[in-house]
Amino acid sequence: MAKTEIKVGFGDQVKAVSVELPKGEAKPWDADAQLEVVGKPIPRRDGALKVSGRAKYTYDVNLPGMLYAAVVRSPLPAAKVVSVDTSAAEKIAGVKAVVQVAEKGDAVLFAGQDVAAVVAERPEQAWQAARAVKVEYEQRRFVTRLAFAATPDAPLVHRGAVEERRTEGHVTEGGGGDAQGNKRPLRPMKKGDVSKGLKGATVHEAVYETQVQTHSALETHGIVARWDDDEHLTVWASTQSIFSVRDELAEVFDLKPTNVRVHTDYLGGGFGAKFGASAPGSRLGTIAARLAKQTGAPVKLMCDRHEEQVCTGNRPDSIQTVKVAGKGTALTAIEVQSIGTAGIGTGAGVGRNAFAVYTKCPNILVDSSDVFTNAGPGTAMRAPGHPQGAFAFELALDELATKLGVDPIELRLANDEHPVRLWQFEEGAKRFDWKAKRAESKRLREGKARIRRGCGVAASIWGDFGRPKAAVVTCSVLRDGSVEIRNGVQDIGTGIPTVLAQIGAEVFTRPLDTIIVRYGDSELGSSVGSGGSQTTSSVTPAVRNACEDAKEKFIEHVAELLGAKPADVSWANDGTLSAGGASITFAQACKKIPGESITATADRPATYGNHPMPFLGAPMPQIAGVQFAEVEVDTWTGVVRAKHVLAMHDCGRVMNRLTCTSQVNGGVILGTSYALMEQRVMDHDVGRMLNPNLESYKICGAADTPEIEVVLTDVYTGANNTGAAGIGEPSTIPTAAALACAVFDALGEPVRRLPMTPSRVLAALGAVPAPKGLG
Amino acid sequence: MADRSALTRRGLFRGIGSATVVASCTRTHPGTATNTPSTDAALSPGEIGPSPSRLSFELNGKAVQVDVEPRTTLLDALRVDLDTTGTKKVCDRGACSACTVLVDGVQRNSCMMLAHDVEGRTVTTVEGLADDGHLTVLQRKFVEHDALQCGFCTSGMLMSCSALLQRTAGRGSALSKEEVQDAIKGNLCRCGTYPHVIAAVLDASKERA
Ligand code: FES
Ligand code: FES
Repeated sequence: MAKTEIKVGFGDQVKAVSVELPKGEAKPWDADAQLEVVGKPIPRRDGALKVSGRAKYTYDVNLPGMLYAAVVRSPLPAAKVVSVDTSAAEKIAGVKAVVQVAEKGDAVLFAGQDVAAVVAERPEQAWQAARAVKVEYEQRRFVTRLAFAATPDAPLVHRGAVEERRTEGHVTEGGGGDAQGNKRPLRPMKKGDVSKGLKGATVHEAVYETQVQTHSALETHGIVARWDDDEHLTVWASTQSIFSVRDELAEVFDLKPTNVRVHTDYLGGGFGAKFGASAPGSRLGTIAARLAKQTGAPVKLMCDRHEEQVCTGNRPDSIQTVKVAGKGTALTAIEVQSIGTAGIGTGAGVGRNAFAVYTKCPNILVDSSDVFTNAGPGTAMRAPGHPQGAFAFELALDELATKLGVDPIELRLANDEHPVRLWQFEEGAKRFDWKAKRAESKRLREGKARIRRGCGVAASIWGDFGRPKAAVVTCSVLRDGSVEIRNGVQDIGTGIPTVLAQIGAEVFTRPLDTIIVRYGDSELGSSVGSGGSQTTSSVTPAVRNACEDAKEKFIEHVAELLGAKPADVSWANDGTLSAGGASITFAQACKKIPGESITATADRPATYGNHPMPFLGAPMPQIAGVQFAEVEVDTWTGVVRAKHVLAMHDCGRVMNRLTCTSQVNGGVILGTSYALMEQRVMDHDVGRMLNPNLESYKICGAADTPEIEVVLTDVYTGANNTGAAGIGEPSTIPTAAALACAVFDALGEPVRRLPMTPSRVLAALGAVPAPKGLG
Repeated sequence: MADRSALTRRGLFRGIGSATVVASCTRTHPGTATNTPSTDAALSPGEIGPSPSRLSFELNGKAVQVDVEPRTTLLDALRVDLDTTGTKKVCDRGACSACTVLVDGVQRNSCMMLAHDVEGRTVTTVEGLADDGHLTVLQRKFVEHDALQCGFCTSGMLMSCSALLQRTAGRGSALSKEEVQDAIKGNLCRCGTYPHVIAAVLDASKERA
């Protein structure tokens, strides 16, 4: 392997390093690369289809003879199935089949679990039939309250072993020890000795609570299944991971994976909940394919909103005891003890803000546990663990800063070591007019004004999880002068096909509209799931390699036409190719391609750089971000309004400034919603969700959205050949935390529970008694 | 704005005071009762259901006829029976506006209307906005400003915003941010497109002014 010199860094902090590039790897686009198309704010290419209603999502697939399925779900949170009577349902007009999913004697672990399924000619008939299935249960004791579930008196949720769901691309904290009752410890994150760090230091300790949040993608989970013959299954799935759908169905129905074809042309959001053929709490894919097999017709099974809320995943809640200690501006100890419930599932960790952002602190312990409850399973949700951990820790940090008498930014600058984040804190403070704003909030606070203002800041941490070998991309130069890029990746809404086209246009210096991108189909070459903020970083380098290889072959073809050596062919920006006085246009050279096309297939090697700072010591870059938030609080009503968010983010080399900004807006809005509005409300007496809809489960609307200012910091990481890193998750991590810090600044009192509802704000002010806690 | 003589799903629930939908119902929309052939025996004139009955209305400028059950919503009739799937189903109970269509020019949640409510009326869906394949200014601005991510809320957003532009067409001045925000207050978007939607509509309104 030869050493290649590249320039890495950001802003004026750029330096030359030498990297060993794997064989066949294109030289990375580094700080010196002058790119024409990549990075530009280019509108997404399927925009016209989406605005004219012609984009067909899974929900929109209407096949000839297609039947509609519906699932019968348990209304009880814990029970044993005694009997299932399908006779009345079978008699309903249009009903083709009714099947049991749970058998007599099976245990029900949460309200919403699959019990039976029906399939009919029309959706209304299927819903009617589902209501007509009579199920008799033997009720069991259940627990849905987190704090109670963690006690020895609570009924056990799982009697046997727990099946663990792992979401592709999400590095989970993993099981760290044996379960005690419903409580199962996760692997702790630890360095130094906290008790040492507490000695002689100023200490702040408090309990912070976060709520269960549901993904609430607008397109519900669902699938259309069609058997082409006994051995071949074709499905259209609303999924973030085409290939995990394929593999799951192949396994369940004992088929060759290549005999299962999965289409996801358009996807109405996922946010972490749409991996696999089934939803986290419902075997949708299996049921649809089984019913399709039984009836010999294609079957569509889409969740309704109620089902989407109760059985398709959620972000677990948390009760976190945070202890943080400091001397002067130096943090000396951090300890987080946390429990959270992912219902019957796992994954209630609290992310990495407390452990890995303020790395100058020598003594840290983050210890968290999953606590099982009889509720729908949690699953990865946009930056699993992180928003909840960031909220508790960053607010605790501000409370400590007050005790220490230092400015929150000063405290952060003194303890963070990531050069990009340090720059973001400093530059952001200037842009945000931090000092003047904090002085104004102090004035209002001390003057006991009714309407207060406040500002806060919080950090984001994420890793560049770009995966090697996962995406296989084919690039073809076609006789008609277009360049075709093929890969089976799905577009969750980030606009990835547009970015892939930009890479093609850049490599070939061809107009964007001559680049064809085929995607969303398992027959187009394997690819990654849209999770872990890894898609762009996993797929674009493979696209570039495939394009560069195809270009090289094309140049050989041109050299032959011009009677020259490939090395002598020069490629002008207008597409003219010349060598030794002879020249030919790109179009002419394409027409002379022997056969259909000149084609190359390539993948992406493992990440080979981690500038400017590694992610938790791993051989990958750490992605930095900082958000500043300003709020207005009415101290008479308790209403908090998010006024302004300045989002400063690094995602390596920005591939498309327009779609990237859209993603950051989305992260901020989701975080605002989490901070101020959303929460799953359980009726703990009956064990059911009280707001399984979108009218009482509140999500952020246009009027609740702050002004958002996005600053994208291009960082040249030298980690892969395009320099792309992720943005989807990092952009939502610090929002709720920054808003909570801003509320603290406005009131002088912390609101230590999310969402920061009026009653909690008033309680923080001592105007009303504190509402009861989650436990 | 609501035609009180027409059946709406909400009105029906309210009227019977229970969530059990009656098996047959009377359609009283003016001028339509007589031409409804019903397949069900023993119905009084003007009554339809529970089997499908003929429904005629104008969809995106074309006359359509379709047989639908009285219980079928306008949203399901559009999506299931007429394969007009640009209109999206998200909450199916009037909470998100993803299913917004224009009925006689006024925006309505199609999940909250029964299909037979639109007998003889005109319905415009997102597919009907473009003129002969030419995107409207608003649609183009949505694309330019990236006012869509996954795109699932986009049809509803566009219908609400088109209605706003139509309502204010005579004004000759550009819209304010607050007006746009008001118009899309009921349109939920989970991807977070609101800032770009607002920018797109303001831009479209400037072009008009
Ligand atoms: S689907 Fe009609 S308002 Fe939500
Ligand atoms: S663009 Fe995805 S819901 Fe609005």
